[in-house]
Amino acid sequence: MNIQDNPLMIEQAKLANRRQFFGSAATGIGGMALASLLNPTLFDSTIQAQERGVPAIQPGAAGILQQQHFPAKAKRIIYLFMSGAPSQLDMFDYKPGLVDMFDKDLPDSVRNGQRITTMTSGQSRLAVAPSKFKFAQHGENGTWFSELLPHMASVADDIAVIKTVNTEAINHDPAITYITTGSQIPGRPSLGAWLSYGLGSANRDLPCFVVLHSTWSAKRDAQALYERLWGSGFMSTQHAGVALRSQGDPVLYLSNPTGMQRKTRRRMLDALQQLNAERRSVVGDPQIDDRIAQYEMAYRMQMSIPELTDISRETKDVLQLYGDDVTKPGTFAANCLLARRLAERDVKFVQVFIRGWDQHGNLPGDITSMCQDVDQGAAALIKDLKQRDMLKDTLVVWGGEFGRTVYCQGGLTKDNYGRDHHPRNYCVWLAGGGIQGGITYGETDDFSYNVTENPVHIHDLNATLLHQLGVDHEKLTYRFQGRDFRLTDIHGKVVQGVLA
Amino acid sequence: MHGMKILRHDTNQLSLFVWLLCTSVAAAAPSEEGVNFSKDILPILSNTCYQCHGPDEAARKSDLRLDTQQGVYEQLESGEHAVVAGKPNSSALLQRIFSDNPDLKMPPSHAKRQLTQHDKELLQRWIKQGAPYQEHWAFIAPQQAEPPRVRNRKQVANPIDSFLLNTLEQQRLNFEPLADPETLIRRLTLDLTGLPPTIAEVDAFLEDQQPGAYDRLITRLFKSPHYGEHMARFWLDAARYGDTHGLHLDNIRSIWPYRDWVINAFSNNMPFDQFTVEQLAGDLLPEPTLAQRVATGFNRCNVTTGEGGSIAAEYLVRYAVDRVETTSTVWMGLTMGCAVCHEHKFDPISQQEFYKLFSYFYSLTEKAMDGNALLPPPVIKVPSQQQSNQIAQLESEMQQWEGKLQQTIANFEYQELPLKDDAQEIVARADYIWFDDSPPTGAKLNQSGHPWKYVTAPEHPVFHGEKATYRSEKGLTQHLWQNAPVPLRIGKDDILFAYVYLDPKNPPQEIMLQFNESNSWEHRAIWGDNLIDWGNVNTSSRLRIGDLPETGKWIRLEVAASKVGLKPGSRVNGWAFTQFGGSAYWDYAGINTQTVQANTEFKSQRAWELVQSAGDLSKLSAAVQAAFKVKASDRNTNQKSELRTYFLTHVYAESRDLVSPYRHEVDIRRQRIAEIQKQIVSTLVMQDMPKKRQAYLLIRGDYTQQGEAVESGVPEILPSLPADAPNNRLALANWLVAPEHPLTARVIVNRFWQQLFGVGIVKTSEDFGVQGERPVHPELLDWLAVEFQASGWDVQYLMQLIVTSHAYRQSSFISDKKYQLDPENRLLAYGPRFRMDAEMVRDVALFHSGLLVDTVGGPSVKPYQPSGIWKAVGYSGSNTVKFARDSGEKLYRRSMYTFWKRTAPPPSMQIFDAPSRESCAVRRSRTNTPMQALVLMNDEQFVEAARRFGQRMLTSGGESDRDKLVFGFRSVTSRFPTIQELNIMVAVLGDHRLRYQEDLEAAQQLIHIGESAVDETLDAQELASWTMIGNLLLNLNETITKN
Repeated sequence: MNIQDNPLMIEQAKLANRRQFFGSAATGIGGMALASLLNPTLFDSTIQAQERGVPAIQPGAAGILQQQHFPAKAKRIIYLFMSGAPSQLDMFDYKPGLVDMFDKDLPDSVRNGQRITTMTSGQSRLAVAPSKFKFAQHGENGTWFSELLPHMASVADDIAVIKTVNTEAINHDPAITYITTGSQIPGRPSLGAWLSYGLGSANRDLPCFVVLHSTWSAKRDAQALYERLWGSGFMSTQHAGVALRSQGDPVLYLSNPTGMQRKTRRRMLDALQQLNAERRSVVGDPQIDDRIAQYEMAYRMQMSIPELTDISRETKDVLQLYGDDVTKPGTFAANCLLARRLAERDVKFVQVFIRGWDQHGNLPGDITSMCQDVDQGAAALIKDLKQRDMLKDTLVVWGGEFGRTVYCQGGLTKDNYGRDHHPRNYCVWLAGGGIQGGITYGETDDFSYNVTENPVHIHDLNATLLHQLGVDHEKLTYRFQGRDFRLTDIHGKVVQGVLA
Repeated sequence: MHGMKILRHDTNQLSLFVWLLCTSVAAAAPSEEGVNFSKDILPILSNTCYQCHGPDEAARKSDLRLDTQQGVYEQLESGEHAVVAGKPNSSALLQRIFSDNPDLKMPPSHAKRQLTQHDKELLQRWIKQGAPYQEHWAFIAPQQAEPPRVRNRKQVANPIDSFLLNTLEQQRLNFEPLADPETLIRRLTLDLTGLPPTIAEVDAFLEDQQPGAYDRLITRLFKSPHYGEHMARFWLDAARYGDTHGLHLDNIRSIWPYRDWVINAFSNNMPFDQFTVEQLAGDLLPEPTLAQRVATGFNRCNVTTGEGGSIAAEYLVRYAVDRVETTSTVWMGLTMGCAVCHEHKFDPISQQEFYKLFSYFYSLTEKAMDGNALLPPPVIKVPSQQQSNQIAQLESEMQQWEGKLQQTIANFEYQELPLKDDAQEIVARADYIWFDDSPPTGAKLNQSGHPWKYVTAPEHPVFHGEKATYRSEKGLTQHLWQNAPVPLRIGKDDILFAYVYLDPKNPPQEIMLQFNESNSWEHRAIWGDNLIDWGNVNTSSRLRIGDLPETGKWIRLEVAASKVGLKPGSRVNGWAFTQFGGSAYWDYAGINTQTVQANTEFKSQRAWELVQSAGDLSKLSAAVQAAFKVKASDRNTNQKSELRTYFLTHVYAESRDLVSPYRHEVDIRRQRIAEIQKQIVSTLVMQDMPKKRQAYLLIRGDYTQQGEAVESGVPEILPSLPADAPNNRLALANWLVAPEHPLTARVIVNRFWQQLFGVGIVKTSEDFGVQGERPVHPELLDWLAVEFQASGWDVQYLMQLIVTSHAYRQSSFISDKKYQLDPENRLLAYGPRFRMDAEMVRDVALFHSGLLVDTVGGPSVKPYQPSGIWKAVGYSGSNTVKFARDSGEKLYRRSMYTFWKRTAPPPSMQIFDAPSRESCAVRRSRTNTPMQALVLMNDEQFVEAARRFGQRMLTSGGESDRDKLVFGFRSVTSRFPTIQELNIMVAVLGDHRLRYQEDLEAAQQLIHIGESAVDETLDAQELASWTMIGNLLLNLNETITKN
């Protein structure tokens, strides 16, 4: 059999190799645990462990790719995910001609018989709803932004707005599953899981893939999210995203129970490691070494995570950059700052979710709230990364699962309207990580209904994200049920036009 | 390519070599000898060549196909032959693969998959040896080979060992000796029940020196109620069982009776063929039992949507696709999903064949949009045994009372009254009083001016009864009632009346009676001056009857109902006494009528019939209604009897009172039955539409692009369907378990093997196709598959066979040599040893805590879960957006009953690799992560378990610390600790004591974690210290490992 073609077998061989290391190294981790008896603080710090010359334990740290397929432009991705589908027509895709089309029927030639959801397919007419928001050009190249996005507009020269992202799915569940996992049907690994599997972790105290959920201020009944969106699908569960929570423990089960101090936990762990090491010497199972290492990592995480989420040492300037919300845990601004802190710690993939964009009715009111939620935080993230010289190797992505229709759902006035789901084109922007700033890519027709130039399918987008991390989306595969699966299925082209 | 390079670089050569040896164990053996097509050649062809020369016609290049015997030998368009048996030099295939010419070289250099030198040489040797062609091993029905002879016959307990040992001996290896009895009983108890043995059970097993002790243990465990639960748990992964819809709102969906069915099936050792047929097609069996229909829940476990805007046709296709994929994976180990969009690239499954299977599952009566309902149809009611018994009991009692009632009625002598003429006077015309001393019960009172005021005699005039009402105001004033629940019924010629007494000193200028019908007061009669400006003069909304009546005496006011617009059939439910100025008394109001009012008593059946037949029949039984629909003169005896019985039972006072105690007895039972009926749960089942929905091949799997119509059928590569049976799901199910089917028994046996040993004989237990892993012991797999079928698909027989083998019972000690040779233990040179599954990890902790509740079956429960898990992802309109933790016993049920929200499964389970249950899973990954350590250390459930386990050690572990520690240690490991282990525990106990003696508050906090009560008689500091020991022992690697 061809082993070099079979990632499963390679993974297995490497695992065997690693186990062998633990097994054969006479002191191994059992020895470390014993040593920690003499010096209980030994495990408190990874640095101390390294100073002793003990190799760092990196469970699941190494990725399947021994080296990237191309030189990586980005080391990590921060993906600001706008769940519910923001309206491209009211934010980025400026269509001045629509003013004259107010309340007129969408020409059949535009829709061209395309399927639409059953929420509006029963409407007697599809009346055009021009955006009520003012647009202006910003930055050196004059990127269009609506008045909803003053902060984003201020970083216009750092971002590439893609106007022609498209998908086949027309409802939220399949569409968001599609863009995050490459398939509309549950069961595939998510983008972050692919990165964890392919590239592994660069930080031994933190997971490779972290998910943050944000509060939102538009109407409460926002679309649901699903664990599968950051799940590992058919891959091993270690590749799944770990949610960093703003309520309770930031990482599930992180805190010791009340009444158990860190010293007590350390003492219990010492005894545990000793007992495990005793058993290891009798039964010869190298898995036990792994288990011992995991407990030490857990113990380290109990320190490193609270340190990560503690923003008390951020400067006033930085906090001001993100706005007042930044001190309220769980807000989008707070999560953007956390994302930067995670990026600093070399977490490979951070995905910040915010819900509330599903605006079938009362769009102008709700989109204003949502933009207030995200505008400053997203822009601050870019500025902050830039001032730390991290934007060059951090790829920031902003976007949702599809766009919204030019025609109105429900009642239409100049100041109030709703928009249905629109998969045929919508806006996503990229910044940093080898992306060309200050550009607008792709063009749509006068109704923001069809792509007229440079379509970017969501598979293309995902291929591009992988590409910037040095990964050929056609070559990062995982064998399951006899088939080599890819994030991009059998599709995807890197969008060369947005690369720097 | 990268992989290979690095492997060479990083790995020491020896281990790579050994590893290669193991992964192709038997395959590598015949080096210069015979090449085996199926083992050696087919994998190369499928992996490297099928992409362009395989089953997919659209992708096929140069018309060469290498996946069929014919294709391999056939003359090509170019005139060449790819393969000429025995003639390497004439075989174009070899010329191409060895060619250096980039235009000729195969595979082309741009191809992702290239051949190794080893591959090329194998192909060459194969052709040299005559190029024998065979089908893929898994498509050839298994045969039972003679178990091979082995040298070390002492280690052969049954044929399983012969097969395994034969391979081991070729590698100069042996099994390990039998594991010690403590390890054995723990291993077996965990494997057959998912729970560890108690110390008492271990002791009993150690003491049982009689032959057959192990077999007796097996028998005992098979009878444990936990056996069925444990076996069912694995199946629920395959069935993608969950408690929510899985898509979009992810609301609760109730299908747990199916889970109970699976538990029962395993507990009762249902033959696996029956188990198969009932789940796939129980509804199509002749006169299916309730249980057989519940079983079909298997294919209703798939995820469904109710998302607004979704297109029904798309989802109907998705559901059917899911069912094909699940059914194929679970029973056949085939990855049918590949053929949804195109011909299968590797296995001989065409796209058309996929849609033939699809057709079996495409005609359900389900709706594409599930409405986010708890029970999206088709569903059935599933009374528990207790409920069925109760209902039967109540029905039988009801019958007895009914009998007595009937008897009494039959014996009652009733004489119809003689009547003068037909319709008239059946109810005597008389005054029916609606108001006297009080308004009708339940009516709403109202007024303008002062509130209702009652007066009594002798100070005031009262016409009838004890009270009259009195009203004195300037100007317009009134008192009234409305919304009377029992209205006045208006009939022909009826007259409304009321009594009024006008104060001679201060008479009103006008008085008025108003009647309310259907919320309208536009029915008014007036006396005196026409001052009240309501309604239209001289119409029924303001009809003047005459002058004010005489003052100082009671006068009867009368108005014909028809004159104020109240037609026969009207229902009056409000009445107002209105006056303009002055003082007046009001009393005794109603209707002079012949119409049956609410409480009219009938003395004549004939009268009742006449009245009733003109009235509302809908409340009467069907039989009585039917009798009424027949003209009186035409009624037959039966109908007459129905009416008579009804009249005497319900209407005629004399007889009614006689039987009313019986009726009461019947009624309370009927009510009780209704209550029980309401509590009976329902579950989702399969049901086909009367007329099949036509299936089509869907081009590129797109539901909008229908290709040719297809009929139900099975892939050609597999045996054909029985010719004489209807071609439906039942035929498909029977076909799967037919003796000649090559896959089912192998696939199932392999999964039971995987369950016990951690890895299957075929590691890719979900894929037995050409791209799947070949069995590491093919003869053993076939032997077991045939044995399983021959036993009548007896699951316990198979389990017993495996667990009595030496291979299973051997020690799991891992020597460096064996580990290096075979780190995954595929050869089984030592016993199974691996971390338990998520559910077991939790169940084991609950078991040691003494908290585990061992009720079997029932709805799912919601034990501890960190807050906000559901809310973080849930749609606000979903009924699973808020997690409400259960309390009491529900916190301590076995984990298989934990409520499974598919879009946010229980996190502590997910962390231990439980699948999301969104799709079928027949193999779990087994990771080892820091998150797992955090769960075991800190999850409230586990800390509480540690506390209760600590308490058990403290109170029932013995006298001394050492005794208690031994008790705790033995509980979790089933063995005695070594001196070193005991010393480690003694030392840490001492340290914890010191710490908690300094800090009572910390101790108090620790021992109050979890809902279960704290034994306040225990010393808090001592209990905290033992809680820490409990926490230590529950975190022990050995505790969560089956070894």
